[in-house]
Amino acid sequence: MAGIVTEPWSVAENGNASMTAKGSSRELRLGRTAHSMSSSSLRKKSDLRVIQKVPYKGLKDFLSNLQEVILGTKLAILFPAIPAAIICTYCGVSQPWIFGLSLLGLTPLAERVSFLTEQLAFYTGPTLGGLLNATCGNATELIIAILALTNNKVAVVKYSLLGSILSNLLLVLGTSLFCGGIANIRREQRFDRKQADVNFFLLLMGFLCHLLPLLVEYLANGKTSAAVLSDMQLSISRGFSIVMLISYIAYLVFQLWTHRQLFDAQDQEDEYDDDVEEETAVISFWSGFVWLVGMTLFIALLSEYVVATIEEASDKWNLSVSFISIILLPIVGNAAEHAGAVIFAFKNKLDISLGVALGSATQIGLFVVPLTIVVAWILGINMDLNFGLLETGCLAVSIIITAFTLQDGSSHYMKGLVLLLCYFIIAICFFVDKLPQKQNAIHLGHQAMNNVVTATGGGVFSS
Amino acid sequence: MGSIVEPWAIAENGNANATAKGLSRELRHGRTAHNMSSSSLRKKSDLRLIQKVPCKTLKNILSNLQEVILGTKLTLLFLAIPLAILANSYHYARPLIFGLSLIGLTPLAERVSFLTEQLAFYTGPTVGGLLNATCGNATELIIAILALANNKVAVVKYSLLGSILSNLLLVLGTSLFFGGIANIRRQQRFDRKQADVNFFLLLMGLLCHLLPLLLKYAATGEASTSMINKMSLSLSRTSSIVMLVAYIAYLIFQLWTHRQFFEAQEDDDDDAYDDEVTVEETPVIGFWSGFAWLVGMTIVIALLSEYVVATIEDASDSWGLSVSFISIILLPIVGNAAEHAGAIIFAFKNKLDISLGVALGSATQISLFVVPLSVIVAWILGIKMDLNFNILETSSLALAIIITAFTLQDGTSHYMKGLVLLLCYVIIAACFFVDQIPQHQPNGIDVGLQPMNNLGEVFSA
Repeated sequence: MAGIVTEPWSVAENGNASMTAKGSSRELRLGRTAHSMSSSSLRKKSDLRVIQKVPYKGLKDFLSNLQEVILGTKLAILFPAIPAAIICTYCGVSQPWIFGLSLLGLTPLAERVSFLTEQLAFYTGPTLGGLLNATCGNATELIIAILALTNNKVAVVKYSLLGSILSNLLLVLGTSLFCGGIANIRREQRFDRKQADVNFFLLLMGFLCHLLPLLVEYLANGKTSAAVLSDMQLSISRGFSIVMLISYIAYLVFQLWTHRQLFDAQDQEDEYDDDVEEETAVISFWSGFVWLVGMTLFIALLSEYVVATIEEASDKWNLSVSFISIILLPIVGNAAEHAGAVIFAFKNKLDISLGVALGSATQIGLFVVPLTIVVAWILGINMDLNFGLLETGCLAVSIIITAFTLQDGSSHYMKGLVLLLCYFIIAICFFVDKLPQKQNAIHLGHQAMNNVVTATGGGVFSS
Repeated sequence: MGSIVEPWAIAENGNANATAKGLSRELRHGRTAHNMSSSSLRKKSDLRLIQKVPCKTLKNILSNLQEVILGTKLTLLFLAIPLAILANSYHYARPLIFGLSLIGLTPLAERVSFLTEQLAFYTGPTVGGLLNATCGNATELIIAILALANNKVAVVKYSLLGSILSNLLLVLGTSLFFGGIANIRRQQRFDRKQADVNFFLLLMGLLCHLLPLLLKYAATGEASTSMINKMSLSLSRTSSIVMLVAYIAYLIFQLWTHRQFFEAQEDDDDDAYDDEVTVEETPVIGFWSGFAWLVGMTIVIALLSEYVVATIEDASDSWGLSVSFISIILLPIVGNAAEHAGAIIFAFKNKLDISLGVALGSATQISLFVVPLSVIVAWILGIKMDLNFNILETSSLALAIIITAFTLQDGTSHYMKGLVLLLCYVIIAACFFVDQIPQHQPNGIDVGLQPMNNLGEVFSA
């Protein structure tokens, strides 16, 4: 089952040998986006010597498969949190514990899903592999969003998706540029801004789609009833979601087919040029597929716990639900990508760090968010694109600051520090924001809508 | 007192610095663009008269005096200082005191800048740069703290906002416009890396102002106003600490690790002075005399600022202008006059890096240093000042930053860019000119925001 293992992970960690891979390897490499390359920095070399001693071939293969998947990451120590969370749920341990353990358990799972998608990409070819990566890259956020929807917690959905975008744009990018800038303080750090630009104008389009439903609310002038306004918001949100999904598909066509060269990691001259590296899968297609399905089920389970226990955790820890959803959840969901982006920035490979951070932000902004709205539409839940005034303002300023900072194609530590401090300020803002939440309200914090909710007895808006 | 090899003439040419060698280069590093532009207002001291005075000490004192008091083209305005003091003692019309104090502040600001530059010769480049960075906007800082001490939070906010707008639009606009007209046949370029650093710091400052504003709007009706104000206040205070951290990092970046971004460009144009100038830049007054003058001038600035802050309402009533207009437009024009003149002069000479360094550097200093410092001083004094500058002012700030950032992003300039920035400033000034909304004067945290007007009485600090 295991193919020829010529240390693909160390190849990936160097990040450069893949540049010089020839022939079929080049084809395979193109299926690896910056996303998968960065996550691979958390891989660990499997020690196969112990397994070799096991007599039965079938058992040996099974065990090496297990070792590859479960132990093949530096985050493996967090795996015990998963059974711990499950046990706690059945034993009725206090909910904040379940919440914390589930969060911890989600971190290695997200990383492993990324590893498995990369392995499957070897078998499916570059285009399909890229597609798979693009879809599963933010599997955790997507699953949390859909589960929260089915529990009718629209606020949690909106906050967690917004928090993911902010975390990618400011936190991941900020720490990468800062650490990279300090490590390379004597060198000029450059990156190709064409790739960054594509992401930015897509994010700006996404922002427009959030802004317009928000502004509709302010059309109220006493004559228009609030019900008409919210209907308007809902229908334009749904229409916009379809447009956003179309643009995302176009983005995939652009990135994986017609303008692939913009997204290929830059060529680096270094001492590994002469070694020919064969990148091959370390697990077979079907075992990979089975693992992927299994891990996704576990992610769904832990996400279920997270969504169910979030209010109690918020009460117990004295943090608002908005703070937990916007700040804590995305930090956990993004931890693997985050570490990878920082490592590549240290090595002065900024294109990869940017590809990870901006690519994730675009995926969530233009794929997960509209997909969630469409799923809500199907489920009959009224979720629109109005994320609230404060949240939309933060989104706007983040996109503008990041776009402006990156527009000249070079980087230094000051840029990273400013992005990081901006994230910190936004986090403080949501930390002090102790507004009482109305769980089932579509709009949070807006006075006009709150009157409607109480006036209609919540009948119109809760499904 | 060192040898005088016409340092001011050198500074006015602005190019000998680029060819300075060795020790002079070290000294030059302590002179930021700020210094260099103010030095364009220096005047050559005529020492012949003094030489005739027999007694040596008297001669030294007189030449010192001449250096400091008469060494600027703005000397005439010094007369306004004793006039203002007289007017105050004899209780003349308060608007008169206000006007005289404003006029008196102009040469004082310029002299403080000169003195900091002189002290920088003694303290070395890094400390000199720091000194410049802190004292560069001494006038604004002093006015802000005095207004706080008098519990006039609105005046503080308006004057600081006005300083940023003035630097971004007025100083930059006039410099680019006149520079463009004077160099109409030449390509005007500047190094955009330095400008970029300033812009993303300004954008971060904007974020810190925007969040308390949005918090207030998002929360209106949701929570009690006292809770909203408490949230806004804690957010503002924490943001101020973050802004100060960013400013310290900016100083490290500018004065230590990435100094090369901020050094004035090497001049390529053929210049008749290249071979003649022996670039000795030395101070013209001793360290302790410079220090004493600095302290003295700062005290006089504090005195005049006290008059300004005390008489601003009367002047506003008497002249028919709102307090917001006076604070946003008039005060910064006065406080910035010297830098303004210097920036225009350097733009004429096609040395845009220096003009930009002055304008953008000042804007960043005020936004990331003076504003958070004021909030922290208010915190210490127990005054409730937050970073919410209200929607009209915050929008003007946002648009000013975005327009200026966009205009300067390609690294070139022409007169049209300057004209547009200037006209934007005129538009914003017109907006505040017609804005005759009554103010809830000293104790209101928010001025001019409809729901809050009812609570002005609740929040008497």
